[in-house]
Amino acid sequence: MRRRRWPLLSLLAFGYAFLYVPILLLIVYSFNESRLVTVWSGFSIKWYRELLHNQQLLEAAWLSVRIAAVNATLAVVLGTLAANALVRHGRFRGRNAFELLLTAPLVMPDVIIGLSMLLLFVAMQHGLGWPDGRGFTTIAIAHITFSTAYVAVVVRTRLAQMDASLEEAAMDLGARPLTVYLRITLPLIAPALLSGWLLAFTLSLDDLVIASFVSGPGSTTLPMVVYSSVRMGVSPQINALATLIVAVVTLAVIIAGVTSLRGSRTQRRR
Amino acid sequence: MPAPQDNPPARRQRLSRVVNIGLPYLWLGVFFLLPLLIVLQISVAEPRLGQPPYTPLWEWLESGVLQIQVNLQNFMLVWEDSIYLTAFLNSLWVALVCTLLCLLIGYPMAYAIATAPPRWRIPLLMLVILPFWTSFLIRVYAWIGILKTNGLLNHLLLALGVIDTPLNILHTQTAVYIGVVYSYLPFMILPLYANLSRLDPTLLEAAADLGCRPLRAFVRVTLPLSLAGIVAGSMLVFIPVVGEFVIPDLLGGPETLMVGKLLWTEFFGNKDWPLAAALAIVLLGLLVVPFVLMQRLERRMEDSA
Amino acid sequence: MPIALDRRNLDTWQDPKATPYVRIERVSKRFGEHHAVEDLSLDIFKGEFFSLLGSSGCGKSTLLRMLAGLEYPTAGRIYIDGVDVTDVPPYSRPVNMMFQSYALFPHMTVAQNIEFGLKQERLGRGERAERVDEMLELLRIAELRRRKPEQLSGGQRQRVALARSLAKHPKLLLLDEPLGALDKRLRENTQFELVNLQERLGITFITVTHDQEEAMTMSTRIAVMDAGQIMQVDTPTAIYEYPSCRFVAEFIGSINQFEGKVVESDGDQLLIETRLGRPMRVRNFHPLALGTPVTLAVRPEKMRLCLDYREDGVNQLRGVVEDIAYLGDVSIYRLRVEGQRVEMTLTNTQPRTEQVLTWDQEVAIEWSPTSAVVLTE
Repeated sequence: MRRRRWPLLSLLAFGYAFLYVPILLLIVYSFNESRLVTVWSGFSIKWYRELLHNQQLLEAAWLSVRIAAVNATLAVVLGTLAANALVRHGRFRGRNAFELLLTAPLVMPDVIIGLSMLLLFVAMQHGLGWPDGRGFTTIAIAHITFSTAYVAVVVRTRLAQMDASLEEAAMDLGARPLTVYLRITLPLIAPALLSGWLLAFTLSLDDLVIASFVSGPGSTTLPMVVYSSVRMGVSPQINALATLIVAVVTLAVIIAGVTSLRGSRTQRRR
Repeated sequence: MPAPQDNPPARRQRLSRVVNIGLPYLWLGVFFLLPLLIVLQISVAEPRLGQPPYTPLWEWLESGVLQIQVNLQNFMLVWEDSIYLTAFLNSLWVALVCTLLCLLIGYPMAYAIATAPPRWRIPLLMLVILPFWTSFLIRVYAWIGILKTNGLLNHLLLALGVIDTPLNILHTQTAVYIGVVYSYLPFMILPLYANLSRLDPTLLEAAADLGCRPLRAFVRVTLPLSLAGIVAGSMLVFIPVVGEFVIPDLLGGPETLMVGKLLWTEFFGNKDWPLAAALAIVLLGLLVVPFVLMQRLERRMEDSA
Repeated sequence: MPIALDRRNLDTWQDPKATPYVRIERVSKRFGEHHAVEDLSLDIFKGEFFSLLGSSGCGKSTLLRMLAGLEYPTAGRIYIDGVDVTDVPPYSRPVNMMFQSYALFPHMTVAQNIEFGLKQERLGRGERAERVDEMLELLRIAELRRRKPEQLSGGQRQRVALARSLAKHPKLLLLDEPLGALDKRLRENTQFELVNLQERLGITFITVTHDQEEAMTMSTRIAVMDAGQIMQVDTPTAIYEYPSCRFVAEFIGSINQFEGKVVESDGDQLLIETRLGRPMRVRNFHPLALGTPVTLAVRPEKMRLCLDYREDGVNQLRGVVEDIAYLGDVSIYRLRVEGQRVEMTLTNTQPRTEQVLTWDQEVAIEWSPTSAVVLTE
């Protein structure tokens, strides 16, 4: 069946242009000497230099990275447990509610999550005396809560695709359940754990709304700094920051792509 | 699943259950469900000065009487003051328009990717996901520079002679539409692609063999079979957009009233926590219907898989 | 129908003093409302090549999984070598299993797969290497040792799975549809290999299969299962020649059935009056009262052309050829005998063009009283 595909392909091209032109423009203008976005007055990297001397922004970035790493690690643990529960434990009592709790954070508006978490922390501080004030811990807890749901989706898919008889075979060959999990299950779902971790890391690094609710004085995250500077209008420093982020992400994707390609190629050669 | 038994293997299973089900359940119960209940509680409180800035739901009076105070004024205010009603209606409208726009742009893209030569599919899909990994805030910010009155778009259109006077797009609802569609497009494309790529191509061949022209085959075969993907993608866009804050705040103007922004203002600006909580509860109530719809669909797909 | 392989000196089950190696005692397994296995008892003896045969959903796989410890019975006990293993987890049983999907660990090489079970036993490095080499040699797959499962063909995977499950020198090997994933030609060769391997190693094999040919060829005994219960346990020959009930008769091969009732009992022979109107004589060892409703069953290949047809002849029928299926070595003829279908298989001793029978031809057929079976249930 041959059909003319050009209308479809031009739509596709238009879609990609829509997705990428704004990002490309950000990158181009990050090298603009002028402060005005619309006027090209010459190539310069002075905004990068300024960015690297912006103490407030650097501190916020460091805080965000630390929160994101803690968040990603704990979310992978909780999300993997939840995925185990859903795939390996069949129809347990309360399963519907469990699934509901795991799906709702995926679509729940940030303002509701942020507000509700803050109210919880205030009530807990009032009633239990913990957490004492808000900052790193409260932001991390809030992020883990919604990241867990994302990790669970990723790991669950992978786990469900895995042949259950692999675990049975290992057990049949004398491996106890913990050994089976460590030697068979974990290596086989490792790619999903890695993408889950990266996803959780990015989500945390990206969150403005929830962090704004549950942060306290002295714990300003990177998106909060970016937001306050963006509200003031266009700032070439943010363009430079955007370029750096895009560069890091692209590099990571290329590395991931090349290693997985090389991995499959060496396997074929052997 | 077998009925619970009391032999050693069943006991061993129980430990794994406690860890795998219990821990995430506990975490989500304490940090997701409980907070929503607290929001409900505070939505019926009265604002006051002090810490915390609301009145408690119950109090033990000296005489040993438990006094429960439920204040429905916040909800009445939301119903009576037209600003809130307008904001809710407008939020739903924006979400609806943007969902349709995402579908209109996303469906052909997902279809083109799913029918591309196999070795092209993963790279094309990666290109859709890639922007999602860069900062959301920064991607919204990118549009400020484009849509400003003296921004790139107006410069381009003026230079081309399409318009004589610059367009005012930034700080209008149109800018919000553009920003939302731009940010949420991947959420529409991914479930659609997942669905369309599973579609058996021999179905279309069979339709053609039975005398069905391509367009008709698309409408009668492909479209009904991809309904699950359409609904899933639409919900992933619609539900969060109703409560969106960043995009209306940065790209919208005074006329673009949306709940998310209003809630933010009540909370951070007016420090009226109970009213913000009431807004959150109403918003939650509005989103329950599409959410349940999505859950049902997901479960049905799971059962058929 | 292939002939069963010659299994000499393997009739322990007939010795009343022999103790069973595997004893399944009134075992039931329920999944919610579904009864997968229902009050099933079975003894299997050392050195047997035992097959559980049945269509899908008959409970044969569940029974095998209960022997492996991958499922636990809802009721009943299971003994292996005299030890009650009912509640023993799979990793502590002296039993290994070859999975239908082979379940080879995709992230390990062939050698690592085979070594996996030995590592769990905490064997020393040297002994492990020795055992792996032994297995690679036994199954003639030494050149595959460094490959990953995805680089193996179906037949190679089957061998690796077999090597892995034999590596721990189990006393009992469970095989779930061991040949199910192989193509027909490979399957026939592998059948003989499996039997040779089993005889050489002296391990008790229990296999699950839905393929009757496979069960007939390889087994010392077969248990035919239906709806969670065993319908008959016997040698392949007995199962085929002397089915105990209509289910087994129909499940294995094809069979003609004539309903009727006992009209005369004379020593070891019965005279049965069938609906077709004429009496049929059959050899029978169990006494049956006059008037008992019975089914007379005759295999199609036991039928022969009748040259001296008489109106009152015993075990003789006359009919019209309705259909002919030419299979090369044999032809199957479908006859219509007074409203009933009767199937007859004849060996094609002559080229097809010279065959005597053709469509719509009237023929007379007969069979000997010793070739038929009486079924009461």
